Amino acid sequence: MTAAATTPGSLGTAVLDELRGIVGAPHVLTTDGDVEPFSRDATPLFRAKPDAVVLPATTREVSAVLALATRHGIPVTPRGAGSNLSAATIPEHGGIVLVLTRMNRVLEVSGAELLAVVEAGATTAALSDAAAAHGLLYAPDPGSRTVSTVAGNVATCAGGLRGLKYGVTRNYVLGLEVVLPTGEILRTGGRLWKDVAGYDLTRLLTGSEGTLAVITEVTVGLLPLPAAAGTGVAYFDHLADAGRAVAKIIADGTLPATLEFLDNRCINAVEDFARLGLDRDAGALLLFGDDGSADLVAGSLRRMADACSAIGARDVTLAADVAQAEALLAARRCSLPALARLAPITMLEDVTVPRPRLAEMVDEIDRIAARHDVVCATFGHAGDGNLHPTIVFDPQDGDAQHRAEAAFDEVFRTAMRLDGTITGEHGVGAAKRPWLAARLGEDQLALLRRIKTAFDPAGILNPGKTGS
Amino acid sequence: MTPADDQAAAAAPAEAPATTRGIFDKKLLAACISCGFCLPACPTYRLTQDERSSPRGRITLMRALETGRLEEDDPTLQEQASFCLGCRACEPVCPAGVQYGSLLEQWRDHQWRGRHVPPLALALRAGMRVTPAFGVAGRLRGAARPTGPAAPIEPDGVRAHLMLGCAERALYPQVSRSVLALLPGVVDVPSGQGCCGAMHAHNGGSEQSRELAEELGRRLPGVILTTAGGCGGHLAHVLGRDRVRELSEFLLEYWGERPDRMPALRRLTVEGSDGSADGRPLRVGLQDSCHLRNGMGVFAQPRELIGRVAEYVELPSAGSCCGSAGTYSLLRPDDSQRVLDVHLDEIEAAGLDHLVVVNVVCQRQLIAGLRRRRSTTTVLHLAELLARAAT
Repeated sequence: MTAAATTPGSLGTAVLDELRGIVGAPHVLTTDGDVEPFSRDATPLFRAKPDAVVLPATTREVSAVLALATRHGIPVTPRGAGSNLSAATIPEHGGIVLVLTRMNRVLEVSGAELLAVVEAGATTAALSDAAAAHGLLYAPDPGSRTVSTVAGNVATCAGGLRGLKYGVTRNYVLGLEVVLPTGEILRTGGRLWKDVAGYDLTRLLTGSEGTLAVITEVTVGLLPLPAAAGTGVAYFDHLADAGRAVAKIIADGTLPATLEFLDNRCINAVEDFARLGLDRDAGALLLFGDDGSADLVAGSLRRMADACSAIGARDVTLAADVAQAEALLAARRCSLPALARLAPITMLEDVTVPRPRLAEMVDEIDRIAARHDVVCATFGHAGDGNLHPTIVFDPQDGDAQHRAEAAFDEVFRTAMRLDGTITGEHGVGAAKRPWLAARLGEDQLALLRRIKTAFDPAGILNPGKTGS
Repeated sequence: MTPADDQAAAAAPAEAPATTRGIFDKKLLAACISCGFCLPACPTYRLTQDERSSPRGRITLMRALETGRLEEDDPTLQEQASFCLGCRACEPVCPAGVQYGSLLEQWRDHQWRGRHVPPLALALRAGMRVTPAFGVAGRLRGAARPTGPAAPIEPDGVRAHLMLGCAERALYPQVSRSVLALLPGVVDVPSGQGCCGAMHAHNGGSEQSRELAEELGRRLPGVILTTAGGCGGHLAHVLGRDRVRELSEFLLEYWGERPDRMPALRRLTVEGSDGSADGRPLRVGLQDSCHLRNGMGVFAQPRELIGRVAEYVELPSAGSCCGSAGTYSLLRPDDSQRVLDVHLDEIEAAGLDHLVVVNVVCQRQLIAGLRRRRSTTTVLHLAELLARAAT
């Protein structure tokens, strides 16, 4: 799909007036200064300026904006909180950035139906808190939950720290209200856990990165809040040992809520920020946790602690109370930004391999980093085989960026060789696009593009992302 | 795609042609990775849900200014430099350790030069230099009397010099008297105190603010005791954290070390119409001082002290800016009021007897706000509450 051709500043006065008529003049931003903050997201090394930023307040306004954009061939990049790590919300082709943060209400939490309905821009934390107030759990738990929007989570199929036992965003999306690029308002799925009428468009739209439709409302499934939760920490000499401990935990028959690991560099960066008294000398930290009935949690934690000891953990401790467990999880969530303390540029990746190959992948990353002379810190959702190798560098250091890119190229190809993928939860966006064909193959990529055309005949919606 | 990133540009060597303008400290500006973890902590983002008025959005604007993509007369730059409360709530939540407060000062230094200075900010900057005027006003209204030149710091004598604070000595002179009542013989009040310069630092006058703080540091050698988080945060930044103690941390440290010098603190209860106590403990909330909490890391201490003399009630937004923000309530009264309203609603809903403050401008802001609403909750400085319990 070729992008609609616009050059910066090409939105005419008539189009801008129409936009102002739809959402109100204060919600159409066009000056250089006003659009600048929307020219980037949380992805390093990507920036592009939109011609206008539009902030709608209702689904009808979204519909009118999209119909107008299709009529005039204006690219539209939907945006939530802009916390994505794949440059998915960078307006590479200019045009309109459509920001949904004004639509941020939690509309309903139903204990009887175990579901919640939220507007696109409600934050993940707001949804979780609203659910918790009813004694319910919204399980997906992405690291950026206090910032990220629910529709953004759906658009990227966000993962998080509970993936192993609870799955990811896609496992909880029951229904969507979306607006097609041509302006039609659709409702896919609904309030039902069972519904097989027609293609599963809800799942197709989940993870579509704003290339097929704009999500305006989300209905998610909830679970009863577990009665108890517990967390423990094990230290190892090497990250690969932590990977082996993960394999043993699963093999021993435990499917815990959380299995996260950090290497030595991450431990130190996190400790610099959170000051929890982590062992700065350890080669790796494995954070394990489970929830459920108090008995189940106690047994599960004991089995996991035993498994870690059997693999040769230097030390295993259980969090004394909920506050300590929460502090550990909060610290883990901030691993990425904490690593930013090490150098000005922090490039993070998201490869995922089958769990049994985790230790192998970890060793490969070490070798690749050494070969390319880059500083790499690795953390990740070990239980999901989902790794976040992070290369930090100073752009003053000559060809550091090229070395980082070469190293990641090799990391991606290695992951695919181990039957893994180039991205587990962050998405393709613009950042991972160069490797998508290698991952999907030409036939699948061609099908993906035909699907894109069916949804978006004018090719205006986030053009070029996700291989579209 | 534009991989030529500001993050890279901001960290590029100074001699690199036309990439940076030297407005900001390169290292500080490069530290942000735009993760957005600061957004929910920012009071102006919470009001607007608008990226432009978030810490991350403002840093993106600063980078555009630094690399010359935006000029300082850009209206968005002007507006956002001014709309920011400067509360620094984004700092403790930033895992990357971005020093936003310093960046904001550098931004305003540049942004508010010459004709770009908000006239009121300029007037305030000039006015605060004329400290004798404030001093006289304070003496007329009964602030603690200066005790002469600073006494030497001794283990069994004066441990710290009480700093009076320009606004506090004029508006709330009872605060410094309460401190002396709590710490007899432990602090002195050196005469000839000037302004600490905090106000200048937050209004585009960093250089002047540093000179003022250093001058005050010379006049009050040794440990400076402050009752205002705004002054304390600035002095600690310039003179070093070990030179400055805020009242609550000083009291806990000193009384912990010398329990014999701690006055008996009674539990404060509601008084009946005949003056007799009816037994119900007073319900007391706290408004944190932003620079005390986010700049000096002091927030547990005032809570502990209140809990010793009353029933402490944690307000949901206790740690969030009340909108006074130094001179903000004068420069941007409408926005200041919008920020304050959230706090006033919570205070009224909580049914407090007193709201305790630990900073002078918060005191002024909350007294005025609660008075407008005819609230029965009264505002006290922490020193005043404790002095009542000590009598």
